[in-house]
Amino acid sequence: MSLPLSYSIRNVSARPARSLMTAGVIALVVVACTLFLGLISSLRHTLVSSGDPLNLVVMRKGSDNDGSSQLTLEAYQAIKYFDGIARTASDEPLVSPELVVQPFFRTLDGGRENVLVRGVEPIALDVHREVHVAAGRMINPSSGEAVVGKGVMGRYQGAQLGSELQFGRQKWKVVGVLESGGSSFESEVWVDVRELANDAKRPLPYSGIRVQAISPEAMRAVRQRIDDDPRYAIEAQPETDYYAKQAESANALYLLVVGIAVLAGIGAGFGAANTMYAAVQARTAEIGTLRALGFSRGSILWSFQVEAVALAVLGFLLGAGLAVGLAELIQVLIGGVGFSARTFTTNVVTLRVSLGDLATALVLAVIIGLAGGLGPAWRAARLRPIEALRKA
Amino acid sequence: MKYFGLIRANLGRNKLRTALTGGAIMLAVALVCILLTMPAGMNALLDTISSNTRISVHNKAGIVYSMPYAFTRKVRAIDGVAAAVGMTWYGGAYEEAGRVTFPNFAVEAEYVGDVYPDYKIDPQQLADFKRYRDGAIVGRQTMKKYGWKIGDRITLKSTVWPADLDVRIVGEITNERAPMLWLNREYLDEALKARGGSGLGIVGVVWVRAADPARVNAIMRTADELSRNSEAETASETEKSFFSNFFGSLQGFVTIILIVTGLVALCIVFIAANTASMAVRERSGELAVMKAMGFTRGIIFGTLFTEAVLLSSVAGFLGVGLTLGLTKLLSAAAGWNDTLGPLGAFIVTVPVIVEGIFLSLFVGMLAGFVPSWGAARKPVVQILHEVF
Repeated sequence: MSLPLSYSIRNVSARPARSLMTAGVIALVVVACTLFLGLISSLRHTLVSSGDPLNLVVMRKGSDNDGSSQLTLEAYQAIKYFDGIARTASDEPLVSPELVVQPFFRTLDGGRENVLVRGVEPIALDVHREVHVAAGRMINPSSGEAVVGKGVMGRYQGAQLGSELQFGRQKWKVVGVLESGGSSFESEVWVDVRELANDAKRPLPYSGIRVQAISPEAMRAVRQRIDDDPRYAIEAQPETDYYAKQAESANALYLLVVGIAVLAGIGAGFGAANTMYAAVQARTAEIGTLRALGFSRGSILWSFQVEAVALAVLGFLLGAGLAVGLAELIQVLIGGVGFSARTFTTNVVTLRVSLGDLATALVLAVIIGLAGGLGPAWRAARLRPIEALRKA
Repeated sequence: MKYFGLIRANLGRNKLRTALTGGAIMLAVALVCILLTMPAGMNALLDTISSNTRISVHNKAGIVYSMPYAFTRKVRAIDGVAAAVGMTWYGGAYEEAGRVTFPNFAVEAEYVGDVYPDYKIDPQQLADFKRYRDGAIVGRQTMKKYGWKIGDRITLKSTVWPADLDVRIVGEITNERAPMLWLNREYLDEALKARGGSGLGIVGVVWVRAADPARVNAIMRTADELSRNSEAETASETEKSFFSNFFGSLQGFVTIILIVTGLVALCIVFIAANTASMAVRERSGELAVMKAMGFTRGIIFGTLFTEAVLLSSVAGFLGVGLTLGLTKLLSAAAGWNDTLGPLGAFIVTVPVIVEGIFLSLFVGMLAGFVPSWGAARKPVVQILHEVF
């Protein structure tokens, strides 16, 4: 004979104060974990989703980011006509020479951040297929214009469509907004490559070259040919690998956040177990009666576990609502969250709590509930009916 | 004190519950301490690496924007400057590593020692650095990492300049956390000229040591005025501000982490309050009997309150101990892998320990007060009625 489901559920609602206390503890853990998980997955999304599977990043040998690489014009001209490189409809090779510098930008509250400014040629939009101009238009060469990523918009003084943006040695007119599906290009500002080289007074014109191959096989061949070229001390790597490596700078943060989540989870598990134990203890007589009536140990164990899970789900619902609200609030109050990658430029991360994060938090809440409920439920089921009744 | 036995017996009456409550408080205190350690550790780190007399003079547009080399001399001539050295990013990749694994700069050998007296570089080694064009001074962290000794020769391939250099290690920066390598500016300059270039005409950052902390602001103002309306206007700042700007854009993360810390602290109060009220409710019959026997309200309140505070403060001490252990673990993790390096920044400072212990005391008091007060106040007759 098994206990009806409603018995467990009613037990939750029969003691509202105690149930809310237990659910509250679980809810707080859910909030903490969901926010942290959301932060990690938003960061991951920004850093890892960048890069085109057919693109190569060509840099000076030994450079680990295109902000600390310098290349000659000859290197660019040599690579441009290699076989296996894709071409536009007008037969232009999809090779984008670029210059990356990291000038200071003034944030709205007067602070400063290093922002990645990419000097490009018009071909850049064809090579970076994930990037498109969402509002306004692309820059014209040699006109002092800039297009800014979505994450940069509104974060810095003058970073508005139509405004003048001050960085480097001059002011730039913002004529467009870049979008790339949330990847790190949205934290960049693009200007004309020659103007940028002039402004930054760099001895060599380019810091890196992005190349689009026609196929994965062609990409390998082009990469090999660039790596083997003895003239310019340059090397190529797939763009996706390049950004994956940049994302490693968040490893420490991942480890930390996971560690904190685990600690908080164990702590809350203790708290939940405590409340469950007390609940069982207070109901010793009731359990004895149930046993005397003929309910089996298994069914009592099951019933208490169901009660624990019901509490956990209640806690999850409370916590998830609170977490989503808090994430929205943080977004409104502090905007995107800045994260410095290895290049010391700022990636603007939009804090988003995804369904996956909520699902993970739900699993965690249920585990806490089950683990916290198992001990007391076990103890309840093991009680001998006579003893339990005598205690009452 | 004579009631201590009673308090101890009460704590031991439900050992599992005491352990679970204590464990929860311990973990929560450890969590809060670790989170507090992050900003505190960053501050401590900034204080250890920066001096209050050192100033960075760099281009207003950004660190990567250079200044004409001649500007170094102008800064050095400013009144109140004890020493000034020009540093330029060399971006050398150590041959074996294949990529840039430690910061390396071309510096003016004759001045660098005077700007960094606190780095305690052996005077003989500094003299060697001045004497040998191909000399280099390396931080202990990097020396250890690659097992280098003084006298070793290494090849650096620059990712920025068209000049690879062979350098000989002549000295060591004895700070355990120092990763950087300094090479001789003239050596790089000559190598660039030998390749037909015009040499190293620029400088990245001029580091200045003021003779007196009181002169720092005046020097910064003068340096920025000197560069006004030139093609490289400068922005001077103190060393601490320079390094804290490196971490500046993590502010958003710190904010979120602090919000969560607050939540966790709230969590502890919840758990402790819950336990305290359970403990009191269970014992209400016995408390009534005690009162009927003549124990005063004060004693009832005192023993219950002390019980809660004792439990949470013991747990608090254990939590602080756990924090110390975990941060040790984190700094060990920082050694495994370059990308985990930042984990080494978690340094438990004395204020964090004190805050952790105070937090646990506070939680105990807050959680213990209401139920103890309630139990002490309740009329005896009413409780005895409820129980019997």
